[in-house]
Amino acid sequence: MIPELDEALAGAPYSWRESDREQLLLSGLNRLTELHYEKCVPYRRIIDGYWDGLTAAAHLAEVPYLPVSNFKTQLLQSVSDADVRVTLTSSGTTGQAVSRVRLDSATSTIQQRALANSLMHVLGKSRLPMLVVDTDAVFKDPKKMSARGAGVLGLMRYGRDHSFALTPELEPDFAAVDAFLDRLNGGAFFMFGFTFMVWAKFYEQFRSRNLDLSNGILIHSGGWKKLVEQAVSNEQFRRRLGESFGLKRIYNFYGMVEQIGTIFLEGPGGLLYPPNFADVIVRDTRTFEPAAPGQPGLIQVLSLLPHSYPGHSVLTEDLGVIEVRSGSNAEWGDRGIKVLGRLPRSELRGCSDVVGMAA
Amino acid sequence: MISICSPVPRTIDASDFMDHVREMAKQPSQPFSDELVMLLGTISSELLRNPVMRALPQYVALGYWLRAAAVRALAEEGRSGFGPHEIAAARGLALHLPPSNVDTIFVYSWALSVLAGNANIVRLPATFSPAARTAVEIIVDALNNAGEENRHLFCSYPYGGDLERSLSSLCDLRIIWGGDAKVDAVSRVPIRPDGLSIGFSDRHSLALIAVPAYAQADDRIRDELATKLFNDAYWFDQMGCSSPRLLGWVGASSDLDALSKDLYRRLGGVIQSKSYAVEPAVAVSKLVLTNDLLAEGWARHGVRYSNELQVVDVAEPAVALEKHGGGGFFSQSRFATLADVAAIATRKLQTITHFGFDEDQLTSLARAIAGRGGYRIVPIGQALNFAPTWDGVPLLSHMTRRVSVHAK
Repeated sequence: MIPELDEALAGAPYSWRESDREQLLLSGLNRLTELHYEKCVPYRRIIDGYWDGLTAAAHLAEVPYLPVSNFKTQLLQSVSDADVRVTLTSSGTTGQAVSRVRLDSATSTIQQRALANSLMHVLGKSRLPMLVVDTDAVFKDPKKMSARGAGVLGLMRYGRDHSFALTPELEPDFAAVDAFLDRLNGGAFFMFGFTFMVWAKFYEQFRSRNLDLSNGILIHSGGWKKLVEQAVSNEQFRRRLGESFGLKRIYNFYGMVEQIGTIFLEGPGGLLYPPNFADVIVRDTRTFEPAAPGQPGLIQVLSLLPHSYPGHSVLTEDLGVIEVRSGSNAEWGDRGIKVLGRLPRSELRGCSDVVGMAA
Repeated sequence: MISICSPVPRTIDASDFMDHVREMAKQPSQPFSDELVMLLGTISSELLRNPVMRALPQYVALGYWLRAAAVRALAEEGRSGFGPHEIAAARGLALHLPPSNVDTIFVYSWALSVLAGNANIVRLPATFSPAARTAVEIIVDALNNAGEENRHLFCSYPYGGDLERSLSSLCDLRIIWGGDAKVDAVSRVPIRPDGLSIGFSDRHSLALIAVPAYAQADDRIRDELATKLFNDAYWFDQMGCSSPRLLGWVGASSDLDALSKDLYRRLGGVIQSKSYAVEPAVAVSKLVLTNDLLAEGWARHGVRYSNELQVVDVAEPAVALEKHGGGGFFSQSRFATLADVAAIATRKLQTITHFGFDEDQLTSLARAIAGRGGYRIVPIGQALNFAPTWDGVPLLSHMTRRVSVHAK
């Protein structure tokens, strides 16, 4: 593990201001660029061919980045095949290429430690009883392991005495939830689910049951596309869950399999804040130059976690905007992002009008 | 129900549609006649007069191509292809299946077949631009005014159904534009047993620049070249078969790097002045492709000039031709001589555009390729110019029949 990461994990996880983190991140990211340059041949060719060779970046914005889709088109790893412990894949519709993220045991450990560190920020130091807003069927069959299943399993590590709010058919399991709450005796607990599931399968199904979830801490993630279609904003999401269940501690997060373990966690103002070992740049969609705070663009995520694959600087296909928070808050840094959605897909017209139109 | 655009736009049911087509099949006319030349000439004038069409260079080019004088010359050429004991006759009922990206092709394909005296059905792809719809309206108006409305049908119908089968069984000629998969799918449906089906399959194209010629060219010539290259590449988002994807610099030079950068700087200027822009997702996909070519060792160097212009130096031009970004993605490669270009030609190579070569050099190149590809060798700026011989197929001759007449 690079020393910069060790240092970043020592402090309160989301507390660093931009000026605190910049030098340390720069040094760590340069070190990772060099490491991957030495160990990953395709990455080296990209750095030599597109970034004019290996040079130490003088600013975070100069750190070379890979578009996230290159994790679909190339197998990028900085360790030998024998050292690969697990290959994570992204969610994707059938037939579409998926990202392949190669973790060795060291990176896997780093990633788990970093995630624990981040989650501790909102969950506290001891493991809490956990209510999963999903079904255990989602990860029971390893052959059918989806990104959703992997996400649920990954987060379950940070809770104990798990219960599942949904049946394998994704119907509400009222008995299981009642039993879970009974066992708590009013103690604190941890809830996790994908945003849309929390809304459509938990809020919609359980809201008439007068549940008291005021001791719960909900962490959710997974994109707003379906909720935006139903005109549900983050503010509404929070308000309705608060009104119906007394649930006040709600944390959305932004993360991706290509930077597994790095989560941008919801803090003051509904912004998503990078942990101390990560940062974000928003790039103008026309020039690819860094956009000023307040200006929307493509989100680039920087993280010190990826050691076994060159994912420390990734240009996502998500649009977002950086917002700067004035005033001091010892718990949270001074910059966060709002995610505005996916970059609209656009394909140039090919010559054939038959494929996909038959029948 | 099937939507048809002529004589008036409406939807009709399959049986009425087939009745109409059966009537059409009975109505071929005399090839290369003055009436047909006049009809196309009228369409030319209307296209060039229409403000929507006039604003779009690809339709202006179409309008010029259809000028009465130009079409008359084509008719002359067509007639002269027949011997003293041969009578030119129409082939009969023609079905045109245009590509979905180059939305002027349907007019060229149709117009040549009109000149050949055929009755014509044109299937319009769902992805057609509003401009293409305007062109159809102009053509349909002209047909109605000329009393030709019952010999031509512009329509949309689904592929893969009974209607396609019935319709195809009546066709004497079928022209399929749109790549391997489409040619393969459409060809499974039989036309008349004595019919002729011509498929235009997947093709790609390249541009060649003679290094010494570019080095000696002055600013005016270089700017002109950049504009022509822009027209060739960007009119259809670089997705046309004849739009260049690879730029080959032919000949030795010590400062090729500076010369190529000079061209891309000028091309960038044209892109800006024409306000050409791609969606950011397309720009990102070009970066992904650049990285792929680098990562896999096909390319050595890549430069992003803008969202609309990305250039990679490739070590394997043949591979680069297969991997295409579109929307302003160029591979570039050095060739010592034109003979080295011939070595990478495959059957998929369609158009070679050029700058700075003489006729002898180009003829030698054509001979060296010898029909393994490279069916059109034309100056940079003419890549998209439609020609009655396409992919090595003389269309007018295939669109007609020859009747031999010997008195003794």
